[in-house]
Amino acid sequence: MRPDLELTSVPVWALNPTRPGADLSGRAWTIIAFGPHGADIAQTWIDQIASVHGESAVRLHRCDDGTQCDDGTASAIEALTADLVDARVGWRLMMAGPADACLRLRGAAGALGVADDEMTVASTDDDARTVHCVHCGAVTRAQVQLDQVLPCSSCARKLLVYHHVSRRAGTYLGFMVDAEQPAEVPS
Amino acid sequence: MISAPDLVHTFPFPFAADTYRYSTNVEPAGSAVPTPVGRWGERVVDIDSEYEHELAERAAILAADPTRSAVLPHMRPACWDTMLTLMRELARAYPESMALRRHGAGWRWRNDRLGIEQDFVLGDETTLPAEPLRYIAGQVQEDIVLLDQRDGDLFGDAGVVTFAADWSFGFDVGMTFLEIHGPVPRLRATGVITRARDFLMRLQPGETYRRTNWTLTIGRRLDVSTELYHEWGPDRTMILGVSDEEFGRLVHLRVEVQHLIRLPESGSICFLIRTYMLPLADIATVDDWRVRAAAVLAELPDDIADYKGIIGYRDRAVRWLRGV
Amino acid sequence: MNTLKLVVTAIDDTVGGIRTLTLADPDGNPLPSFTPGSHIVVECGGKANAYSLTGDGNSPTAYVISVLRCADGSGGSRWIHDELALGDTVAAGPARSAFAPVLRARRHLLVAAGIGITPMVSHLRSAQTWGRDVHLLYIHRQGRGAYLDTVAELGQHVSIHTERAAFSAELLAALADQPFGTHLYVCGPASFIDDVTGAATRLGWPDSRIHLEHFGSEALDPGEPFTTRVASTGEEFVVDAGVSLLEELERRGFEVPSLCRRGVCGECRLAVSAGTIIHRDLYLTDADKEAGDAVMSCVSRGGADTLEVAL
Repeated sequence: MRPDLELTSVPVWALNPTRPGADLSGRAWTIIAFGPHGADIAQTWIDQIASVHGESAVRLHRCDDGTQCDDGTASAIEALTADLVDARVGWRLMMAGPADACLRLRGAAGALGVADDEMTVASTDDDARTVHCVHCGAVTRAQVQLDQVLPCSSCARKLLVYHHVSRRAGTYLGFMVDAEQPAEVPS
Repeated sequence: MISAPDLVHTFPFPFAADTYRYSTNVEPAGSAVPTPVGRWGERVVDIDSEYEHELAERAAILAADPTRSAVLPHMRPACWDTMLTLMRELARAYPESMALRRHGAGWRWRNDRLGIEQDFVLGDETTLPAEPLRYIAGQVQEDIVLLDQRDGDLFGDAGVVTFAADWSFGFDVGMTFLEIHGPVPRLRATGVITRARDFLMRLQPGETYRRTNWTLTIGRRLDVSTELYHEWGPDRTMILGVSDEEFGRLVHLRVEVQHLIRLPESGSICFLIRTYMLPLADIATVDDWRVRAAAVLAELPDDIADYKGIIGYRDRAVRWLRGV
Repeated sequence: MNTLKLVVTAIDDTVGGIRTLTLADPDGNPLPSFTPGSHIVVECGGKANAYSLTGDGNSPTAYVISVLRCADGSGGSRWIHDELALGDTVAAGPARSAFAPVLRARRHLLVAAGIGITPMVSHLRSAQTWGRDVHLLYIHRQGRGAYLDTVAELGQHVSIHTERAAFSAELLAALADQPFGTHLYVCGPASFIDDVTGAATRLGWPDSRIHLEHFGSEALDPGEPFTTRVASTGEEFVVDAGVSLLEELERRGFEVPSLCRRGVCGECRLAVSAGTIIHRDLYLTDADKEAGDAVMSCVSRGGADTLEVAL
């Protein structure tokens, strides 16, 4: 019996697509868009910001969303890190794309000191999830939903995709689903 | 009696009624709680006859899996604060063998039980053999989690947790207090954990509170972290096939006494988790405990029993306690 | 609450209108450590006022506070200036923290006016111990600057003003140009705080990075006396200010379950059959509170009419 998911560590936008408006309380923005759907949302944000603050205050980075090959999270984190070098207080981060990429970017942002009220997330889908195997430490990325089972890419254990998300890593907790059903019944 | 006598005399039997539900069961720390066979609760940091064994266990676990310990960089002042606070508590509880005194520009710590005398300077890591949180974690049986208070919330940003009861500190590091407790059914929905969080945020320096938590563990096994679930999980099935005598020896009532301390200088919150275990065979030697434990287990709602991982053998435990 | 009895071991009146007191334990023992930005509530001639601690925070030998004489206040500061003498004993509550440095901050920007400098002094001391990057902007009236030598010694980036226009220009430039990760701390008169936080917000500062020192707004309020009637016996009595309903019932021999005595655990709930309830707990839901038929006796109180509890 699972608790109400809205009361867990799984952000609501990681369960369903969400599309918030731009955070206009800031003074400078880094916008990271994953894939074409993310880019659409980013453009809407840029328009909203420009109407109030002008376009020069925005830095836009477009990254791959991972449907074709390795996702663009690594390049997104690089771009974010570079922008933060000379950012001033008043800066905001906005990201749009698949929930999986957003979870991982949010984790990196938090580690770099970005506060929750300095971040806005728009998720375009929740098809893929990155799962952390709590037994061997490996991460496995797959098209999988909560409560489904996926094999760990390293130790091959069958992992339940649990409703618990690491803030720092943006990964779901995966633990062995059949530990209490041993292969051999003791005599 | 299977366990050493002091473990029975100081066992913190957790049930105050014949039923159990999650509640914000915090109370001021430090008062003795009498039991039919002794008492517990006067000390914030508690040493018993398992001291050396548990410290060795902790060291082995950390050597095999360093992810059980973490200190996010900004928590440095909180780690020093924790170390000083725990040294003070130890010195207060065990004055014949522990002492913390000013020494020149720094401090001198003495722990005769481990043969330690250490001079150190606050804030200078080169004056200790290990980072301060690890250093003091190597001298107490408690698990330690430090919560940073910021942005109107509490973040679990440092800790040493080697005796986790089916959770993973390594995974949870950096999460908020509410997020860490997210998976537990009922806690968020009933507001129990939000109240606990609000309570903790209002704690003032010099204030220490405590609460208890409980579950059942098979075997006297301290480390039942989620990391090792593949090792201890099968025991929950194995236990159904053992003899009654084995059952009473293997199934342990596991109690956590948690102390919540507002650290004075850093302003962070120190969460101490002290684990105690007695096999049902020893619980049964105290009639009040035997009867009450059976009542609580029998009445426990399925979702709580399931979350605690005991639903598979709960009925047998009740029958065992009542059949003795 | 543990009251501290402290002896006045030094008085410094060199700055006009500001009296600095050094308070020590009568037996010479170290005082409890405190978080930077903390204050103590001092009993001053029948009033209770909060004053920031400006001394060292690690097991200090003394607590140091600076008191601005308020001619038109409630009398507490006047008592400290006019009545208190060297060697006298004062009663104070333990240190309370409501303005702590954020551990994750990359830099701490402290902005103070007048006596608002006092919580910043302990921030500067702690910054030395932990190697924090701290910048201080301080404005005071000519001749009324407190801790000027102290802050110059403690801080590497200290800018002190006596003239408003220059201060405002430097403040706005500073607020617009802080490296990402900086946190802002403001203390001074209410209008000053409003001006500074307004400017910061307009420059895009998010709420999580702005910290204000509010003196004495924590729930230390002892409340008003109220009358209670016990339904079963008809007994009526007054619960005094500073005493809880729970304590009064216990004193009179009634058994009421309790645990946290803080308004969170739910144990001390009593059914109410009549009377207004002033809810001060964190346990009852909004609906419960509106229904008005239950009271958390450890923290909540009755109103002007008689509170009847079903005990």
